[in-house]
Amino acid sequence: MSSAAISAERLARSFGETHALVDVSLEVPSSSVCALLGRNGAGKTTAVRILTTLLSVDSGRAQVAGFDVFSQADKVRARIGVTGQTATMDELLTGRENLDIIGRFCHLGAATSRRRADDLLREFDLVDARDRLVKKYSGGMRRRLDLAASLIAEPEVLFLDEPTTGLDPISRREMWAAIRTLVTRGTTVLLTTQYLDEADQLADTIVVIDQGLVVAQGTPEQLKASIGRPHVRVTLPDLDASALERVRSVLGDQAEIHGLSVSVPASNGLATLSEVVAQLELMGMPVYEVGLEHPSLDEVFSIVTGHSDGAGMTAPATEKNG
Amino acid sequence: MRQQAIVPAATRLPWSVVDAYTATRRYLRRGMRQPDVIFGSVLIPVIFVVLFGYVFGGSIKVPGGNYRSYLMPGLFSQAILFGSNSVAVGIATDMSEGVIDRFKTLPIARSAIVIGRAISSLLLGIPAMVVMILCALAVGWRPTGGLGNAALAFGLYELFGFAAIWLGILVGLLAQSSQAADVIMGIPTFLLGFISNVFVDPANMPAWLRVFADWNPMSAMVTAGRQLFGNSIGPPPPGVWSLDHPVVTTIGLSIVIVAIVAPFCVRRYSRISR
Ligand SMILES: Nc1ncnc2c1ncn2[C@@H]1O[C@H](COP(=O)(O)OP(=O)(O)O)[C@@H](O)[C@H]1O
Ligand SMILES: [Mg+2]
Repeated sequence: MSSAAISAERLARSFGETHALVDVSLEVPSSSVCALLGRNGAGKTTAVRILTTLLSVDSGRAQVAGFDVFSQADKVRARIGVTGQTATMDELLTGRENLDIIGRFCHLGAATSRRRADDLLREFDLVDARDRLVKKYSGGMRRRLDLAASLIAEPEVLFLDEPTTGLDPISRREMWAAIRTLVTRGTTVLLTTQYLDEADQLADTIVVIDQGLVVAQGTPEQLKASIGRPHVRVTLPDLDASALERVRSVLGDQAEIHGLSVSVPASNGLATLSEVVAQLELMGMPVYEVGLEHPSLDEVFSIVTGHSDGAGMTAPATEKNG
Repeated sequence: MRQQAIVPAATRLPWSVVDAYTATRRYLRRGMRQPDVIFGSVLIPVIFVVLFGYVFGGSIKVPGGNYRSYLMPGLFSQAILFGSNSVAVGIATDMSEGVIDRFKTLPIARSAIVIGRAISSLLLGIPAMVVMILCALAVGWRPTGGLGNAALAFGLYELFGFAAIWLGILVGLLAQSSQAADVIMGIPTFLLGFISNVFVDPANMPAWLRVFADWNPMSAMVTAGRQLFGNSIGPPPPGVWSLDHPVVTTIGLSIVIVAIVAPFCVRRYSRISR
């Protein structure tokens, strides 16, 4: 028995000619959060569907909560909670009725199902809406209800497939807060996301997948460290080409101008920072800001996936809900 | 730290029964929240009574003379058959939405969702049947074969409807979309419904159509209804076993369909998208 709550070994799955998963292995220790990070079509949902007993594999092995996903699917189902990418709550039922039914399907019995439903509605701030039909819920409320539904039987392991995609920024923050609360209670979470900041915010470990392959994994810090050194960035108050040029020449060959600022690799970390500050003082140059910057996960992502267009990955697309 | 462990409840019934009950309740509640759908299902039979009883009925001659008495047992089974259409669309819609994925990650009996669908569809069809009977009585139809036989006839209609519902579920599970389910289901229900003895006596059809109409299970169901209600029918066509033994045919065929199709649907449901 390993102590990992989720362990997957060399999962592969194709749909006809589409190789959704080519070779994905991952280990998620108990009570930790793992983010499966990848673009649209990278294979995230496929991986989640396999680990939650919804999809078979072409090859590979997987264990969740100590049981084999394929030969002991019922044991796994009794121990997991799943919130898929698409809404699963019945629009024609109220929030409370939806939760109650999921509780009964988890074999909690009528009384416990009702009690858990009420507890979760309170916890997810849905008490006022509990007797309203779900079709009148906003997008954020639906997601919270869906999350509540997957918690009804207090699962050991929780799977969240893109829990914040399509949410407005406020709902997104609320969702993050809800997920963080869960983690403090000891639940193991595997979440998928297209957003680097989300992985950075929530995850203990990140597994980056692209075209069905794991292209990088580690803690957010490890991933950043593996990519590059920090930079010192000097930002000037106004766009003044000659001032920028003077700063660049003082900071040496490796300095580069980006917009209002000049950045130079901080090969000695904080020591480089104080050297830069000293030189700026010597020049008597008025500056807006000087600081040490670590590489962002954005840069990590575009380097490990070999695509240079990391741009689409950072800003969460917000849609109008309901 | 968990303050209180959530443990499965103990029951006297097997979980498969409890789960099917929960699923049935869910679909019933959903069904009752769609009054427009119920209204439509009630309205269509009423339109049929008016359309066929009065618009066409005046020009149609049938054995025994009274067309509306001849027609009503046919319209009952017509209404039942069309009910299987909506279940096909409903289950195909379920399959295309995320809700089935959620159910499949819960420790529910595999049979629960399809059984719940089937039973709830049967129950939700009852209001339409009641309205239909009231309409039939209003236009002069009378069951003259005794109360017991009339009850048996309606039991038979429901059994026939249950078999049709399972066929609808099968189509809904096999179809790629709810629109596809609607079309695939629509064609056979239309053919079975119209090339039969529901509206006219097949004796006047060309020979090749007549063979189909005589052996059509709808015709057996309708003949059983007419016999049990004591409505005029005239002599059965020679050499058609199913019309000579319409009650046995309808019971036997319905049971065989359910026995074969239901387990197949359960298997198909659990294999979907794997
Ligand atoms: N049921 C399916 N049939 C055919 N292709 C599929 C199916 N599910 C996923 N795919 C394909 O597999 C690839 C990975 O999909 P998915 O796992 O949904 O990616 P992600 O969740 O990362 O966006 C995509 O190219 C997708 O089109
Ligand atoms: Mg996905």
